[in-house]
Amino acid sequence: MSSDAGSIPAASIIAIGTKALSKSRKRNLIAALFIFFLAILVFSQSLTSLKISIRDYEQYGRVVIESAAPLSYHIEQYTSLFLVRFRAEGNFTIHRESFKSKYVKSLGWAKGSDYYMLTINATGPDYSFESFTLTNPHRIVIDIHLPEQSKEDLPPPEKPKRTPQPRTEEAESQIESKESPDRQQDEVEEPSAPSMPPLASQALRTIVIDPGHGGLEVGSKGKFGTLEKNLTLPISQKLKAIIERNLAYRVVLTRDKDVDVSLENRAAIANNNRAMLFISVHVNGFPRSSARGSETFFLSLNATDEESRRLAYMENNSSDIESKISSEDEDDIMMILWDMAQSAFIKQSSELAENIQQELNSLLGTRNRGIKQAPFKVLTGVACPAILVEVAFISNPAEERKLQTEEFQENVARAIYRGITNFLRNYSTE
Amino acid sequence: MDAKKIIILSALVVVSLILAVVFFRSGGEEKIKHYLDESFQEKDNLSEESLPTRSITLYFLSEDDNYLHPEKREIVDHPSIVHQAIQSIEELLKGSQNGLLPPLPVDTELREFFITKRGIAYVDFSSEIREEHLSGTSAEMGTVFAVVNTLTYNFKDINKVFILIDGSEKETLAGHIDLSRPLVPRYDLVAN
Ligand SMILES: [Zn+2]
Repeated sequence: MSSDAGSIPAASIIAIGTKALSKSRKRNLIAALFIFFLAILVFSQSLTSLKISIRDYEQYGRVVIESAAPLSYHIEQYTSLFLVRFRAEGNFTIHRESFKSKYVKSLGWAKGSDYYMLTINATGPDYSFESFTLTNPHRIVIDIHLPEQSKEDLPPPEKPKRTPQPRTEEAESQIESKESPDRQQDEVEEPSAPSMPPLASQALRTIVIDPGHGGLEVGSKGKFGTLEKNLTLPISQKLKAIIERNLAYRVVLTRDKDVDVSLENRAAIANNNRAMLFISVHVNGFPRSSARGSETFFLSLNATDEESRRLAYMENNSSDIESKISSEDEDDIMMILWDMAQSAFIKQSSELAENIQQELNSLLGTRNRGIKQAPFKVLTGVACPAILVEVAFISNPAEERKLQTEEFQENVARAIYRGITNFLRNYSTE
Repeated sequence: MDAKKIIILSALVVVSLILAVVFFRSGGEEKIKHYLDESFQEKDNLSEESLPTRSITLYFLSEDDNYLHPEKREIVDHPSIVHQAIQSIEELLKGSQNGLLPPLPVDTELREFFITKRGIAYVDFSSEIREEHLSGTSAEMGTVFAVVNTLTYNFKDINKVFILIDGSEKETLAGHIDLSRPLVPRYDLVAN
């Protein structure tokens, strides 16, 4: 909805106003205004506004997400990163208060295919959390605790984490003063959002493999007429078979035949399946026919250094950063974060890319070719570690021939598989 | 007419106007911003011979590697940055004078160009940039960042480049590289 649209109802009100006044039909005017007010109220409801505040208490950092209506949410933890997903019905706007916390480093906000996601970056790994809801107003409360072993580092010495603790005065005023008859109900709800174990032990479920292109989208073309879409599918199918043979993960392909699948839907397939990893398989093309070899990419955020600093995560407002943001720039923050669920996983994605590239290098005997970043449309909305592998160059006649052989396709699939297992091994011991 | 009632009514109108504006503005997070500074059409009447020239750097591809390679070119040092930027893109489209590879399909034409107040250059190319493109990640990276780097490297007023095709925003160039957002330069893709 553009801001221009806003002037239309405003103008019509003036029109109604003048017309009604000239005819002295004040009652009609009042009725019209009343209806308009009601309409505004109703429309405002579909625009959920979230207020996020962060405060440190003696033994935990508390993140409070306040909303006009109750929200369904789900929390996952990736070492030092907490993801709070909200189902998206209508639009969200967020308002955050500036904060300074020894538990929370930064906050981020991203939109997935059918949900919004708040990322809470903790100041260290393995923090535990508790979450519960309160009503009147509706609030989701997430308390973040330091890991057990680092407790003693904290001055002053404190009681063990889970024992009941006297609330500080601030906590009293925040919680108790807003107490409502629903409070008892809320207390009962608490266990319904238990702490989740770290990702590796629990959430390794589905790997989504994305055979690039398909249907009318043929991708790159080789000198002998080979089409990229016809190579990415068999390699992906081989990779799926190897993973399912050797690992206890479900594998979902974004397409299993020669059909068009939009880039947005490919990301949605990953997100709807709660994918643990997303692997997009492609074959490269370049104007110079001698270009050769495999390359593994992860997403570039395509923001300037300063923007990455303040946009990818809305850094807690150190004054020098904040002062540079004009109100106009705030619009850009939302624009850049829009659909950029992947921005929360850049580090993990780079590690996955690194693991896969190493295996491809040793398969092809390539000298240490590094991993690369590029602004890939297909990766931006994916809410898990995600990479895009360029198996070889279809524009290189020798590689085009090789790409057509079952043997090469199988070898590449095995190399990607080894890269995935190496990544998973490191990931689960982190 | 009762003056009191008119005052109340106009107060109500003002309040609802404010509410309407607040409501619609808060929903407009995907506002498309076109703060036109100088426009393409403004392309001057100054006689070009009378103006001094300046040196700029264009980026092309090479037969030896997948990097972008700089090539110097003299353009008219026109007082309008838009004019200078258009000259740079047109030089890029003409191709290399040193045998480097053209980063864009040879039939591509520049349709329109403008710079916003906030330093985003909108470059509108004809559909050949997509239809005659080889496709493939490396090829698309070469095309996109030859344009983006050329514009941002030579003109301080440009920080980002939004590539349009045939007058509209496209999801990708040829299946890979995202064109739905303005792009920042990638000097790591330039050969040393
Ligand atoms: Zn591809």
